[in-house]
Amino acid sequence: MSTDGTIHARAIRKSFGPKLVLKDVDLDIASGEVCCIIGPSGSGKSTLLRSINGLETVDTGVLKVNGENLGYYETETAYHRLNKKQIAEQRTRIGMVFQQFNLFPNMTAQENIMAGPVLVKGAEKGAAARQAHELLASVGLAGFGDYYPAQLSGGQQQRVAIARSLAMDPEIMLFDEPTSALDPEKVGEVLAVMKELAKKGMTMVVVTHEMGFAREVADSLIFMDDGYVVERGDAREILRNPKERRTQSFLEKVL
Amino acid sequence: MLNSNGHRRETTVSRVDPALKPRLRRRSAFEYVAWIICCLLAVGILFSVSTNPNFKWHVVARYFTHETIIRGLMLTIFLTVASMVFGTLLGLVLAIMRSSSTKPIAATAGVYITLFRGTPVLVQLIFWFNIAALYPNLTIGIPFTDISTAVDVNALIAPITAALIGLTLNEAAYMAEIIRGGFAAVGKGQIEAADSLGMSGGMKMRKVIIPQAMPSIIPATGNQVIGMFKETSLVSVLGVAELLQSAQLIYARTYETIPLLIVASLWYLVMTLLLSYPQSKLEQKYSRTSSRLPRKAKKVVLTAPEGIAR
Repeated sequence: MSTDGTIHARAIRKSFGPKLVLKDVDLDIASGEVCCIIGPSGSGKSTLLRSINGLETVDTGVLKVNGENLGYYETETAYHRLNKKQIAEQRTRIGMVFQQFNLFPNMTAQENIMAGPVLVKGAEKGAAARQAHELLASVGLAGFGDYYPAQLSGGQQQRVAIARSLAMDPEIMLFDEPTSALDPEKVGEVLAVMKELAKKGMTMVVVTHEMGFAREVADSLIFMDDGYVVERGDAREILRNPKERRTQSFLEKVL
Repeated sequence: MLNSNGHRRETTVSRVDPALKPRLRRRSAFEYVAWIICCLLAVGILFSVSTNPNFKWHVVARYFTHETIIRGLMLTIFLTVASMVFGTLLGLVLAIMRSSSTKPIAATAGVYITLFRGTPVLVQLIFWFNIAALYPNLTIGIPFTDISTAVDVNALIAPITAALIGLTLNEAAYMAEIIRGGFAAVGKGQIEAADSLGMSGGMKMRKVIIPQAMPSIIPATGNQVIGMFKETSLVSVLGVAELLQSAQLIYARTYETIPLLIVASLWYLVMTLLLSYPQSKLEQKYSRTSSRLPRKAKKVVLTAPEGIAR
């Protein structure tokens, strides 16, 4: 059981009813790599990201996160579902940031950040409070600990959400369109926090429409359409001269 | 013509700054007519009620604070509080069972709710009162041993017990649905966020779902309390001397039926009004969740160590 911050996927498939949303997707993300997933809506990029966190279970294929089969253990003949406790344990090592922030509205910013360490890991409250304090400062929100989510702007809420995920000390951070629900003015402050995180060597998978961020920060890039990975490779290379025609037409419209 | 006249006069005479003039509400002729009809009706009803000697208002006044009535009122309050408390607790259990991912548990709660919401509470009350007909003896013992005692169910199910059981079990079914509705109102994203932190099912329920479901559960529960207060009058059929039965006991003797029903009704009305005030306060309190006023954190005490600069 290595905690190494890698993600490997082989031929994963996922369907919602009759609709196949992931079609033989392969993925290889090294430790410390920043990977952006781009593509039109409905292309399966969010489903792929949610699968990596176990919010969706894939139908077939190999999915190893942090070097372990996610949500299952493997025997000679089949994958068997892990019990809830084991799945929860795997999840504590994968941070997830949502488009709609999903902060707990009944808790202050500080309590949100402390929730994971205290309630799940059984951390001591004083230590968790100190950690929350440092994390808030690191996302530029020192002194906002006593604010409830409703009293914060979207950008501030998203930064608290990032801090909440970081409090669990994850090896991998997943971002599901983290800036799509924000005021254009507030996008920068969230991206700045994410850039800082990338610099520190965090493994990150980011579903995004921010091509500027992809160009500046991402190591690799995946372009998805209709459940397929159409193109993947070096981020700047793909953005500069995409090889597939579908990628070219998509990038022409968004850049 | 009149309009343009009035308009011209206003512009010439008025010294009020046009930007500060109030914008008046338009009252239709219909509104004035409706007011007049309402007032006439009210006067007519009041006149009739106060002059008709058959209402016997002096009898109402005499019995309003009669000992039997007050004792009945106390029992009504007790039945309301007890059946609401037990009903809510059982309802919470049922709601959690109903949202369980384990099918047989969810189905059990579903069947319970269907049965108890699908039959009249009056029938249920009479049923519990007569449960001894089904199970005359209740045997409490340790299985596979001879140690046991038999209890006579007829003696166990006194009218008040039957009333309490009937009201509680019925209320639990309604509360279960209210609480489950509250759970369902908590966003899917909240549950995903809790999942992604690795929270267990019970933790998610206690820390994320229940606190957020409260704003929709509490006001509905207030309504149930008001409803329950009046529903207790049904247990009068079991001979439990609650408010209505107490009034009936008196008029069975004095034949002053209407005045005593007025006494009981006035008490129900007074109690309902008293309950609606905290109910509306609760509603206001729980609709203020998105307040923008900075509030202090209640539970967490930040142990600010030296070396951490604000």
